[in-house]
This record gives sequence, C-alpha cells and structure tokens, in this order.
Amino acid sequence: MSALTTKLPRRASGPAEKPGRRPGGSSIDRQRRKLLVPFVGPAFIFYTVLFIVPAFAAVWISLNDWAGSGPMTFVGFSNYIQVFQDPLFLKSFGNTLLLLFVVGAVVFALAFAMTLVLRDMAAKKIVRNVIFFPHLINALVFGVLAGFIFNPGGMVNTLLKPLGVSEPPAWLAQDNIFPLIMATMVMTTTGYFTTILMAGVDRIPPYFYEDCALAGATAFQRLRYVILPLTWDVFGTCAVLWTISSIKIFEIIWVFGGSSGAGIPPTQSWTVAVYTYVTAFSGLSTPAYGAATASAIISLALVSVLVVLLRRAMRRDAIEF
Amino acid sequence: MSTRFRFTKALAVLAGAALALTACGGGTTGADAKDSGTMTYWSMWKVGEPQQKVIAQAISDFEKQTGATVKVQWQGRSNTTKLVPALNTSNVPDLVDGSYAKLAPVLGNTGEALPLTDAYASAIDGKKVSDLIPGKYLAASNIKDSGGQPWMLPYSLSSDAIWFNAAKNPGLAAAPPTNWDDFMALLNKEKAAGQVPLAADGDIAGYNSAWFSNLMIHAEGPGSLYKIASDKSGAAWDSPAVLAAAQKVQALAQGGYLINGYNASKWPAQQQAWANGGADLLLNGSWIPTETGTYAAKGFQYSSFPFPAVSGQPPMARADFVGWAVPKKAKDPALAQKLAAFLLNKKYQDDLGTQAKVLPIRADAQTSPEMSTVKTAIDNAKEIYQADDGITFPGYTTKVYWPIDDQLFLGKINATQFVAKMKAAQLAYWKGQG
Repeated sequence: MSALTTKLPRRASGPAEKPGRRPGGSSIDRQRRKLLVPFVGPAFIFYTVLFIVPAFAAVWISLNDWAGSGPMTFVGFSNYIQVFQDPLFLKSFGNTLLLLFVVGAVVFALAFAMTLVLRDMAAKKIVRNVIFFPHLINALVFGVLAGFIFNPGGMVNTLLKPLGVSEPPAWLAQDNIFPLIMATMVMTTTGYFTTILMAGVDRIPPYFYEDCALAGATAFQRLRYVILPLTWDVFGTCAVLWTISSIKIFEIIWVFGGSSGAGIPPTQSWTVAVYTYVTAFSGLSTPAYGAATASAIISLALVSVLVVLLRRAMRRDAIEF
Repeated sequence: MSTRFRFTKALAVLAGAALALTACGGGTTGADAKDSGTMTYWSMWKVGEPQQKVIAQAISDFEKQTGATVKVQWQGRSNTTKLVPALNTSNVPDLVDGSYAKLAPVLGNTGEALPLTDAYASAIDGKKVSDLIPGKYLAASNIKDSGGQPWMLPYSLSSDAIWFNAAKNPGLAAAPPTNWDDFMALLNKEKAAGQVPLAADGDIAGYNSAWFSNLMIHAEGPGSLYKIASDKSGAAWDSPAVLAAAQKVQALAQGGYLINGYNASKWPAQQQAWANGGADLLLNGSWIPTETGTYAAKGFQYSSFPFPAVSGQPPMARADFVGWAVPKKAKDPALAQKLAAFLLNKKYQDDLGTQAKVLPIRADAQTSPEMSTVKTAIDNAKEIYQADDGITFPGYTTKVYWPIDDQLFLGKINATQFVAKMKAAQLAYWKGQG
C-alpha cells in the first residue's frame, strides 16, 4: 500500500499528464485501463488471427474459382449464383431449416414439459442424469448402432417378426434416413436443454410457489405468471445455443447414412454443413473451394441473422429476484 | 508493490503463456545435414495394413541401401484430403500415394504434380521402369500432365469382378457366363431354384454406379461415359445405348434378384450376408477377399468372373492405378522419385501380390490364388478402363451422377426417368460451372 501512495504523486506530476485531459475516475479505474491492453491485447490478436482473418479470407475465396491449391480465378458472385441454383443446395438448406425449426420446436416442447414434471418428482437427480446421458455419447456410436438396429436383418425387424410383421418398413432407405436423424437429434439434445432449463427453474425461490398455492393459481397460471417470466433469460440463451449448433450439425449425418464414413451420405439427408464438406473435401472430384466457402458464408449469414432476430424477439427486462 | 511492477509482472505472465503456446508448434527442425538426403512420405496406408507392411519393409531396405532418411506418416486414406491445404504452405511432403481417383483431383488436374520423368527413366532389375508397366495401362488412364509427361507412378492396381464361392458353385468356376444374356439367364435360373442370386450394399453409391458404368463402357468402349458426362448440352444422354444400359440396370433392380432390403441397409451388412451364403454373386472390387475374409463362411473359396461382355467390343477390364505422386513443391523430388521406382523391384511387387493380396503393377509379379481369376482377366483384356470411366469434374459424381444412379439402382425410377433426370441435371451442372 505504501508503494502505491508514494507512486501516485509522482505519476500525477509527470510532464505528459495534463490535468485537463486526464480521464476521470479513481486510481482503480486508471489501473484497469492500463491493464486493458496487456490483458485484452493477446486475446484480441489470437482472435483476429484465428477467426477474423480466416473469415475474411473465406469471403475472398468465395469470390474465386479455386481447387484448394494452384491458381485462383476471380469470378465475382458467380459461386453464390451457382450454389443458389443448385437444387441440391436448396434441399440441403431446407434440411438445415428442418433441423433448426422442427427439431428445435420438439426439443424445447419436450424439455419444457420434462422440466415441469421433473420439478416435483422424486429422485429427480437420477432422472436428470439419465436423460442427459444420450448427449454424452459420440454421434459415431449412433451411426454404427443404426446399422445394428435398423438393417433388414437387424434388431427391430427381428423383434417385429414374432409380432406378425413380415413386411417391415425399409428403415434405412434413403428417404427415411433424415427423419431417423431428426428423431435421434431429439433424443440426444432434449436431455441437454432440460438440464439447463431445470437449473433455471430450480433457481426460483419456493415462496413464489407457496404464493401461488395460497392464491389458488392453476398449474397453467403458475407457468404463465411465475415460471416463464423467471426463466425467460435461460430460455433465450438455450434458443441461441440451439440455433448455432443446429446449423453446424454434420457428423451424425455423415455417419448415419454414409456407411460410417466409408461412403457419402445420400443427398436426401444432406445439410448445408455436409454440402459444404462434400464440395470441398469429397476427395473424389476436383475440390471446389470457391463454391464450398460460398455455401459456408451463406450459413454463417443465416446464423448471424437468426441470432440477432432471436435476441430481439426474446428481449425482456431482466427480473431481479 | 508498484503499479509498474504489477504491469511488468502481468506482461511476464503473458509472455510466459505465449512462449508455452508457441513451444507446442515448434517441434524438431532439420535433419542432420550429413545424411545423403531426407524426405517425407505421407502414406495412404495405416500401420498394420498388409500393404503398409510391404511398403515399410521396402522403405527400410531403401534407407539401408542409399543412406537416406525417409520420414513416413502413415496417415490413411485421408492423406490426399490433408494434402490440399498443405500445398499452400511450405510443409509439403516429398511423396504421396493414393488411387488415381483421389490423386488426380488434388495433384494431377490442378497442375501441382511433378512430372515423374526421372522415375520412369530409371532402371529397376535391369529394366527401364517405363517398360515394366504394361503399355495398355498407361494408354487407358489420363496420368499425363499438360507437357505430356506422366505425373503418377502406379505400384498396384485395383479392379472389379463378379465374386462367388467356388466351393459352393464349382460349375460357375468352370464355365462362367461370358455375355450379358448368359448372365441374366444365370440369375433367372438361380431365382427359379429359390436361391437369391445377387447381393449389393445399396448405400454405397460408388458400388451402385459400377453397374451402369460397366454396362455403358462395355457397350460403347472405354471413354464413352466420360464423353457423355462432358457434353454440356446433356443431349448425349439421348443415345439409344444409354437407354439400353439403363434398362439393364432397371431389370436388375426391379427383377427381384437382389437380397430383400438391399435398398435400406448399411454397409457392410449385404456383403456380410453374401459371404455367408445369403446370395451367390457380388459385383465388387478386387479387395473383397481381404475385406470379407474375416467373416466369410467356413471353407469359402473366393473366385470371380469378369463383368460380362455386352456387345461386339473386345475383352476389357477395369484397372485403377494405386501409386505415387510427387508434389511440385517437394523439397527433395529426386530422392522421392528414387523411392517411388524402388517399390517396382520384383521382390516388393511379389510381396504386394502374395502378402498384401493386391494386384501388383508388374505383369510378371506373383499374385495370390484369390486374385488369379482377376489377374487373368486383366492380362487377357485388350482394353483397360477406370472406375466410373475416370470422371473427376468438380462435384459431378457426388452431386449429379451418383444420386440419380442410386435412384435407378434402388428401384425408385425407371430407365426412361433416369435418362431424363441425368440429361436435365447435367445441363444444369454445366451451366453452373460456367
């Protein structure tokens, strides 16, 4: 402390420091400002080098025709036009939106319902762990398991046989793979969001519920006037998390329909992420980095727009309690 | 404690952290300059694979003979995918290997591969390397760069055939069907006898397309499918030969010859079923004996016959190169070419044939008994062609040809619809390519 006090007058009388231009605030504020550069600087440099520069490089590549190495030819926006005219890209884009909205809606409806049921349930901690568990499993496992379970001679059909089903559905037919993937996504992510939402619900002090009981509120009214307003921010964060992660869904599609990596998944189940990957790295034809980055930039734009819209739609005054 | 001291301390901590981070990226630098040379090789094989064992032995002998150091990374099949970004840096391997279909898109077509003139001109076992490789192979594949020099040196081949269990079908081994009509008659006979004739893993588009590609090439000759695919108007699909080939595939898909559920199954379920007697025949690659060997039924004797002839074309066989390429940016291309040629020594070629059980590139090398029928077919072939006729246009196979061919082979569309869809999709594809 003594060092600090002896230091201060010396700094204040320094020739460079004119009293009029000196920013206000306590000595703590000034120290904070001084430490801003050394602490934020390295992070900022890393962030710029690792994320911002590559992002701009990607924008540049998307305006060129490029096989990943060798000469680049500037082609303007023709990669974007080409990608948007590709029916396969539109199909992949549609699948991404299906995952985002349909799977998202089901996941949140289920997660919310489970949160409400689990709140009053005995042994809720065990149940919470059980429903969280699928989220821990690598998508590769589901891809391999899908074969065991749904192959023509697999588990499901073997179980159905004694029940008199001689013509079972073609589970793994190309058109059925995407619905199966959607169901798997619901199964694996519901537990994850239930856990986060439950943490928010657990935070609500019990006297609000007691108030509700005294006032004779129904379960719906309790949800409408207590639980929803007090967990709104948690809900908003979950929605943003899901938006970002759903647009990047890749590996489960790759292993589910792609023979666990031995081939390429059928185009019926592609998402924008898979489309981007195949365009750049299929390994079986000349890589088209320009078109691939164009498709990646489109999904980046989609995420950005959706997150901004979501933040706006979900904006409420924070409730202190 | 003064603020300045704290400031310096904070800086010191950060500098320390930064050093710790950069230390991870450093690694070892430069080999001993006294060596006669050091080169890097990114392999398509992984440690433990039979081919890897043969190549590792060859490299070890090569190092002893030349005093050079070969730094090997056994990367597996993704080596070519990893090569693309590496080509933009200074960290480029001196030597890579892969199949033609994987090397051409990243090295050959982009002009990033070095012409292997020295390797072809060097002498192995007293013969010029260019004379060790049968001329009909070199005529078939497009491994020449813009200067007319080959950029790839093959060391083995992969091929395909219709595989069966000779222990169960001795008659087939003695008198296999030689043309398409005989083949269909065989399928019908088996079907009538209550035996499932054919197996196919319908989820692998590249296996499905082998039927149409083979039929097309056998009808119109090597290069014909490539020519159709390069037609920007798509009108080439209107040829009657295309429809005829598609109708043959349709007959297979809708004729009830394949194991029930082949269209909704996950590889390797169907080839497993085949290896255990679930079906008699399987059109697949020359790797099938090694790939299914672990789970095949007891006493399974691998034998095969070549894809049946369709019309008056001379006997032909599929042969895809697996071999070496040297990136233009390689630091020691001379040493890399030396090692590439070294694997064409008879000893390693024999090992590839008998231990790794693949088809060595040298016609005089030994092969395993499982490969004998395929080897004979290739030796007798007048013309050689590549899988899917060697088409490597960006995204064409993955986005245009395979998805539509899948629909045909999985029985969802008929031959006429296939032709119409291919024509439209190809027109759109070439329009998009500009």
